[in-house]
Amino acid sequence: METIDLSNMPIRTANEVIRGYGAAHQDVQIINPDAKHYLCVGLTNPIQVHIKGSAGYFCGGLSDGPCIEVENNVSWGVGDNMLAGNIVVGGNAGAIAGEALRGGEIVIKGNMGSRAGQVMKKGTLCCVGNSSFMAGYMMYGGRMIILGDSGEKVGEDMAGGEIFVGGQVNSLGNDALQVAPTAEDLESIKAFLDRYGLTFTGTFQKIVCAGKQLTFATPEPRMRSLPHTQFTGSRVDYWNAKVVEDIRVKAHIGRYRIRGYGAARPVPHLSDLAFRKDLTGAGLDPGALARVNLRTFIGGKHGGRALDLSMPVMIAPMSYGALSPHMKRALGIASRLSGISENTGEGGMYSYERAEARQLIAQCLSGRFGWNIHDMKRADGLELYISQGAKPGLGGQLMASKLTAEIAAMRGIPAGMDLRSPSRHPDVLGGDDLIMKIEELREAVGWRLPVSLKLGAGRTRDDIKIALKDRLDFVELDGMQGGTGAAGNEVLEYVGIPTLAALMEALEGLAEIDARDQLPIVLMGGIQNGVDAAKAIALGAHAVGLGTAMLIAAGCIACMQCSVGNCVAGLATQKAAHVARFDIDQRSLAMHRYLESIRWQLAAISAALGHDDVRQLCRDDLVALTPEAAAMTRLPYEPSAARDLRN
Amino acid sequence: MCAIAGLLFKKGRPASFSMTTGAALTEILDATLHRGPDSTGWALYHPALEGQLRMRFFIGANGSGQGDIEKIHAALADQDVTLLAGEVLGCTYGARVRFNGDVLALTHAIERQVRLVSIGASLDILKDVGQPFELSPRYAIDAFDGGHGIAHIRLATESGVHPDTAHPFWACGFSDVATVHNGQLTNYWIMRRRLERRGMVFQTENDTELIAVYLAYQMSRGADLEAALRASLEDLDGTYSYLVATRDAIGYAKDKLAAKPMVKYENEDLIAISSEEVGLNRLFPGRALATSEPAPLTYGLWRRESVFA
Repeated sequence: METIDLSNMPIRTANEVIRGYGAAHQDVQIINPDAKHYLCVGLTNPIQVHIKGSAGYFCGGLSDGPCIEVENNVSWGVGDNMLAGNIVVGGNAGAIAGEALRGGEIVIKGNMGSRAGQVMKKGTLCCVGNSSFMAGYMMYGGRMIILGDSGEKVGEDMAGGEIFVGGQVNSLGNDALQVAPTAEDLESIKAFLDRYGLTFTGTFQKIVCAGKQLTFATPEPRMRSLPHTQFTGSRVDYWNAKVVEDIRVKAHIGRYRIRGYGAARPVPHLSDLAFRKDLTGAGLDPGALARVNLRTFIGGKHGGRALDLSMPVMIAPMSYGALSPHMKRALGIASRLSGISENTGEGGMYSYERAEARQLIAQCLSGRFGWNIHDMKRADGLELYISQGAKPGLGGQLMASKLTAEIAAMRGIPAGMDLRSPSRHPDVLGGDDLIMKIEELREAVGWRLPVSLKLGAGRTRDDIKIALKDRLDFVELDGMQGGTGAAGNEVLEYVGIPTLAALMEALEGLAEIDARDQLPIVLMGGIQNGVDAAKAIALGAHAVGLGTAMLIAAGCIACMQCSVGNCVAGLATQKAAHVARFDIDQRSLAMHRYLESIRWQLAAISAALGHDDVRQLCRDDLVALTPEAAAMTRLPYEPSAARDLRN
Repeated sequence: MCAIAGLLFKKGRPASFSMTTGAALTEILDATLHRGPDSTGWALYHPALEGQLRMRFFIGANGSGQGDIEKIHAALADQDVTLLAGEVLGCTYGARVRFNGDVLALTHAIERQVRLVSIGASLDILKDVGQPFELSPRYAIDAFDGGHGIAHIRLATESGVHPDTAHPFWACGFSDVATVHNGQLTNYWIMRRRLERRGMVFQTENDTELIAVYLAYQMSRGADLEAALRASLEDLDGTYSYLVATRDAIGYAKDKLAAKPMVKYENEDLIAISSEEVGLNRLFPGRALATSEPAPLTYGLWRRESVFA
């Protein structure tokens, strides 16, 4: 047994030392832990770790296989996202014990705090004492055994799994149901308790999901799709065909409608800006690409390995689930061919895409679907999703028609439900928790990867400051024109703030605290071409992200019914026959060619403005074409500068 | 978005506890520094001075400070407040005064002319932009060895980073009442308008100030601290763990969602409170502490057994 004394070793070093012993399969004891955070985070070897005292936040988090014994207490999030192994805590556990648990066993000999087992999916969480408020909140699977009292609202919004309560059930949560445990249940619990030397002589009550809210009662009717252009713009009839359709569908289903894409109503955007100088001949300069440096490093601010992009462009996060397997592979190929990064989006890493993409960001969302330590280590960057521009404040939605058995298994949830991801992370309830989550992610990968934040534009001026203080490497800032696979129509149109306004708020927020260039911003949300990208960079963005434009390049017909799962182009569907229509090679080349057009535009515009590096683009290069865009950006209003560079 | 700290010696600091009260509060804050790197503050409870008040004011940095002090002196003289001693400390001016009138009336009379931090027979609030170990020497925190105090580090979210928006907040107009808070109130403007209609005054847009003002309002209507804490659980929406200190006690309240942490450790000599257990272990290195976290939707109060011990 090796000994680590935490009174004189930083946690980051200690975790590497523990992993080193883990690699050699040597057991470890830790003295003077003094409730320090992130102990044994990211440990993937089946060694015994004996902690002689209390551990802090996320003890044993993001791990696979360790056997950890804590003599005294643990703080929040013990065993966060553990895949296998066991953790035994001699004292009490703070809030969210066993959050997002994906396997293995956790035993708390004392009491546990609120929201234990939030979004857990597998494994067993056992509490010998009492549980606090909302145990099993949004639980998707696995087993919780509480020998004492349950606390209020046990099983709130659970979608799967089982909770056994030996003491009093203080109150049941929403959509939870109390049933009698079966003989097999009791036998299995007894075997579990015996293994940990625990005795219990009372009777158990079992709590499961009542299942009344897993799917919408009346599905949306299939409609002939009314294309985008028939209901956008300010010149359409007030009671136009789309409005009439909308009312009729709501009269049938009695709730909000869900669709794909982002806001369709016109708001000031990058197309309302122009370059001060006449760039008419810009595209004719054959030497522009050779002369202008576009290569962009992003994410190395806090010691991680920066992403190395051949141009300041990324592919926006889009999930395997919302998108078909073929489309995800094609995105991986296109990103590699163009030397930029791809992003997993929600729901875990699709291995075929990992194989194709050279640089892949793994995104961590509130439901922690598919999130695990091994995929984190396979990633080139980690990203914590707070919200997205299309629906700030809301979680993802994946309707039952797209939640196939394979995707449900990857996400660790029951198939056949209308999946509404939680709107909040279990462990991020403010800027103070956020930094602890970020540090846990960094610890798990030994501080080797960049960690970014995906931020939907809402309270951007304040949020960007928090992102800076919480030591993120960069922020993906997403405005309301950003697309999504599924969200309520009114949310899409009226909740977010425009991309242009979001960028300005973010830049001003940073300037207010004298941090103008200290946090790179990747702007996304309705970026259509290299001209938009150049304008965004001139305004102060470090790079741009492309989502919807990539879909269109891959054959999307903009029917906006991504949520339904019948995508005729095979992009946003899981139906085998539709997916088969999508030719991976052809489509990835189409997206690659589109990306190269952006590269060309970025270079041509920079060169024509006399720059030899794309980062020399600046506000002085821009004017506003409308009073609204001028007000938003504080650029000079010069309508005479209107020239269409896209032709 | 912050960390809170509290320490109360039931009968005065025992010899076995080697840190001063001020130093111990600073240690707790430093252990949880990741939660709030922007500003730091302490509400320290000195022995009460018979017939005297401690007053603290913000003054301008460098050049403008002297002018501010003159303004303070003039404002006090206007209200028949006798200045006994005055001293500049960091960005503040501390005064010891003799005053026999009503503190609330005095506050209303001067609060638009000077920037008041706190008034009390015991209470002294020291707060500034910066981190605990950096500010502690500037404000002589280690020298404080009184029976109790609360403290705070802040990560600014909505309001700006200035000394004024640092915690603790004094319950403006009410002697010796101070508050620190971790979390956010979601019915801030509703409550603020309600309290303003009843004549309460706000100096900032920080939600913690609202807690202090709210408690002061409840107590001004005759509620004791315990009743005020109980009422706050009903009236304040949001997610919070807050501490309130008075001349002889520290109280806490925690909302029903329990999304903001607060851990306490109690033995026969003291009660110590931190946002995280790691803060408490700074006071007792190498020891496994029997800590506990208060249940959701609860409040509590710990009193010193003798204020003058």
